Amino acid sequence: MSDLVLKDVRKAFGKTEVIHGIDLHVTDGEFVVFVGPSGCGKSTLLRMIAGLEEISGGDVVIGDETVNDIAPSDRGIAMVFQSYALYPHKDVYGNMAFALRHAGEDKKLINERVRKAADILGLEHLLKRRPKELSGGQRQRVAIGRAIVRDPEIFLFDEPLSNLDAALRVQMRVELLRLHQRLETTMIYVTHDQVEAMTLADRIVVLRDGRIEQVGTPLELYHHPRNAFVAGFIGSPKMNFLAAERQGATTVTTHGSAQIEVPVEARDGTGPVTLGIRPEHVEMVAPEEGTLSGEVLVAERLGGETYLHVDLGNEEPFVVKADGGVMQKTGERIGLRFPPQALHLFDEDGTAFEHRERHALIA
Amino acid sequence: MTDATTQMADRRPTRRRRRRAGTAHIVVFLAPALLIYTIFSIYPLVESLRLSLFDGLDDGSAVWTGLGNYARLLFDSNWSVRFWNALWNNLILFFIHMVVQNPLGLLLAALLSLAPRFGGAYRTLIFVPTLLSVVIVGFVWELILSPLWGVAEGMLSAVGLGFLYAPWLGLEDSALTAVSLISVWQYVGIPMMLIYAALLSIPDELLDAARVDGLSGWWIFWKVKLPLILPTLGIVAILTYIGNFTSAFDLIYSIQGVLGPPDYSTDIMGTLMFRTFFGQQTQIGDIYMGATVASMMFFVILVGVTIYLVGVQRRLTRYEM
Amino acid sequence: MTDTPDTSRSRRGRSKSWGTAATVHAVLLGYTIIALFPVIVVILNSFKNRRGIFTEPLALPGPETFSLEGYSTVLSEGSFLLYYGNSLIVTVVSLFLILLLGAMAAHALSEYRFRLNGILSVYMILGIMVPIRLGTVAILQLMVQLDLVNTLVSLIFVYTAQGLPIAVFILTEFMRTLSRDIKDCARVDGLSEYRIFFEVVLPLVRPVLATVAVFSMIPIWNDLWFPLILASSDATKTVTLGVQQFIGQYTVNWSAVLASLSIAILPVLVLYAIFSRQLISGITSGAVKG
Ligand SMILES: Nc1ncnc2c1ncn2[C@@H]1O[C@H](COP(=O)(O)OP(=O)(O)OP(=O)(O)O)[C@@H](O)[C@H]1O
Ligand SMILES: [Mg+2]
Repeated sequence: MSDLVLKDVRKAFGKTEVIHGIDLHVTDGEFVVFVGPSGCGKSTLLRMIAGLEEISGGDVVIGDETVNDIAPSDRGIAMVFQSYALYPHKDVYGNMAFALRHAGEDKKLINERVRKAADILGLEHLLKRRPKELSGGQRQRVAIGRAIVRDPEIFLFDEPLSNLDAALRVQMRVELLRLHQRLETTMIYVTHDQVEAMTLADRIVVLRDGRIEQVGTPLELYHHPRNAFVAGFIGSPKMNFLAAERQGATTVTTHGSAQIEVPVEARDGTGPVTLGIRPEHVEMVAPEEGTLSGEVLVAERLGGETYLHVDLGNEEPFVVKADGGVMQKTGERIGLRFPPQALHLFDEDGTAFEHRERHALIA
Repeated sequence: MTDATTQMADRRPTRRRRRRAGTAHIVVFLAPALLIYTIFSIYPLVESLRLSLFDGLDDGSAVWTGLGNYARLLFDSNWSVRFWNALWNNLILFFIHMVVQNPLGLLLAALLSLAPRFGGAYRTLIFVPTLLSVVIVGFVWELILSPLWGVAEGMLSAVGLGFLYAPWLGLEDSALTAVSLISVWQYVGIPMMLIYAALLSIPDELLDAARVDGLSGWWIFWKVKLPLILPTLGIVAILTYIGNFTSAFDLIYSIQGVLGPPDYSTDIMGTLMFRTFFGQQTQIGDIYMGATVASMMFFVILVGVTIYLVGVQRRLTRYEM
Repeated sequence: MTDTPDTSRSRRGRSKSWGTAATVHAVLLGYTIIALFPVIVVILNSFKNRRGIFTEPLALPGPETFSLEGYSTVLSEGSFLLYYGNSLIVTVVSLFLILLLGAMAAHALSEYRFRLNGILSVYMILGIMVPIRLGTVAILQLMVQLDLVNTLVSLIFVYTAQGLPIAVFILTEFMRTLSRDIKDCARVDGLSEYRIFFEVVLPLVRPVLATVAVFSMIPIWNDLWFPLILASSDATKTVTLGVQQFIGQYTVNWSAVLASLSIAILPVLVLYAIFSRQLISGITSGAVKG
């Protein structure tokens, strides 16, 4: 009913264009996350949807109406800001009731809605407090409550959790998920934290330099990144990249002159390519049994798991995720083996070769 | 929730949709300030500059003289003696402020920034003279220094220094210095406050770091705080310079009158401009020469500000804190 | 041998810090006395009779010397109530205009992107460097043309123009540091740009407004130049000018002179006592860092 559609949306500040034509369709009730490195235009795009930033080109459509020229308050959106943006001179109740009071809503209705939202977020006992008397997490909840009270068709969040400490961030993430399940309202969420993106999103939009790199479900992006940028951005620790040379349609040799067969759609020609594999997919074997082998530079022991940084003669160490109990120490040689279905292959521009088979979870 | 949702949904289609704000509000916000400022500050200044290029005829009309007025002011001995004297006195006034007022302000601010007990009270009280009208300040000091009342003389005698006393304001040699020191007394609160604020804005961690690096009180001030507040000292200097041409008039006018006595030893640009413009005793007022003196003041200030902007401010790195 | 340097250092440290504190207080207290002494002498002596003033200028008023004759002369001879009223009207109205118009302009310059923004910012700030008095010649002509000579309105216009640049400068700097989110949030909540200014921005800049108010008030209340030139008629005299002329006429009546000085000092001190905390926190909040 109230889908959000972006049609070739552009934004220029003065002469510099920072958003270069974005097309996106968000269906009603979806939780969509924008991720990307700092400065890629996530906030700008979100603010354009909100109507806070003028649109230099293209259309923003909400429901069946082009809203380019419509005031933010009339777009049926609510926004939660990173700095919370609570009015310091109003108490929690006043902050939550502000928009409705301003719209001249009935007192009873306002009260009902504020109480309801306070109830959802556990803020009942704080309604009389001023923002400066609240903790960071409580402020964040008030900011969300203020958005809920407006009963919008679309929620917009701009890095709402980045001012919170790690534990609180995990807790609020779960609360946001529950809120989304409960309200079933479209939510658009900006973050540069890929864990937040993976856990919250129905679909993730990866942005770079004002362009969409890929749109898809978290697992699609994880298993079938369209290019090396997305492959490197999604997943933690980062995917390992190895320079390689293409020998046949799908066979490559790396530096260490090992021959590796990658199950991707065949393409003609030869030339330099990049091989990608995630740390968690690498198998550790004895040095002589591995496709490649190298010396352990550092072992990061997190308890439950261990990240081994292995020197394969490249500039960057190759990271292997191993069991928490592995005995290998710095200086030891280990062998590495790559399960074929976990390998990714990228051509010189970074574009991925299509896998021959889709991953079982997304097929 | 469902109640509220349906109510909202019912209302939505009929809601009047406002357009995004245009630019009218920017004009509304800016226009009043711009108008008043332009009409009563910028226009008069430009008009003064224009008038300085004209001369009045006996019938009241004006004729273009180009730079004639300036030539008279600078080279015609009827004018130039007074002009150079006033400019020189202004520079002395500035010099005394720079070597007395600003170091004193720095000293007081540095002491206050050590957060001594009653620091707030000292700060508040030392600022009191700054609030007073120069008229009041002028007369207060005139009374106190006056040989008639003898407060100053009495106090000096009490500590055995009575022989030092002289009616300073009335002596050609000391009048300008005395007036300058009165002005220092009145305005030292301003550099003190500005420097104090700058000192406070230095983060504690930085000072802790210096302490860890082995610096102690005096060295921390010298090596860490002072370099960080240099830009503020630059601002204090340029404010002192500009203040010379404005607030100094009031003080001299109320203590000494418009002639800058004795024998023009306290005559400054402000009093010269006032006399030229309105006339005094034998001299009749001349708006064109008045405008010329004002314009010269404008250029002198401009030179100072330019030196500050080009020469000083650029060299004073402003550190992010 | 090895531990003696330690103890001696710590002892020296303690006595040194005690000595430092004493020096600090001596200097600050000394200067505070210098700052206040003349004011106190004048106020004390204004409550004495002529003989008391001259024989014992530094003594407190005693039963012998106490007298209010100065005040009665001043209040009967001068129209000080009228002058007060004039000063008050001029100062309050000018301040109101400086703060309101200055905040509006600062808001426009700090909040909105538009083509002339940069130029207008510099233009508004020029006035800080160029004293408005330099335009006196033309201001007087202008006031004659507008038929505003010897009216309080003329003073109000001039003081507003004089106070705007520094107000705009300080407020713009401060408003730039305000979170953009909160204004955007108000926009999403449906407030018009005008209501955002009045209901969101103004409350947030209140402490800075107080600082600007005090800083702008001092030169207005104390100004001698423009009242002398633009509004020296009896009906429009300000306190500062009134006192100045009164003293000129009564140079021999010292009790009257001292009383009139005290009358002019007191309201400023009272206002300062009320606002001083705000003033200092406003300055130290960094609004005047320049
Ligand atoms: N008001 C502005 N004027 C000029 N350029 C701007 C403005 N706002 C943003 N930009 C530029 O637009 C680009 C995108 O900025 P944006 O704030 O959307 O980045 P972001 O993806 O949200 O980054 P972050 O993760 O750091 O918040 C940046 O290069 C930024 O410099
Ligand atoms: Mg951002």
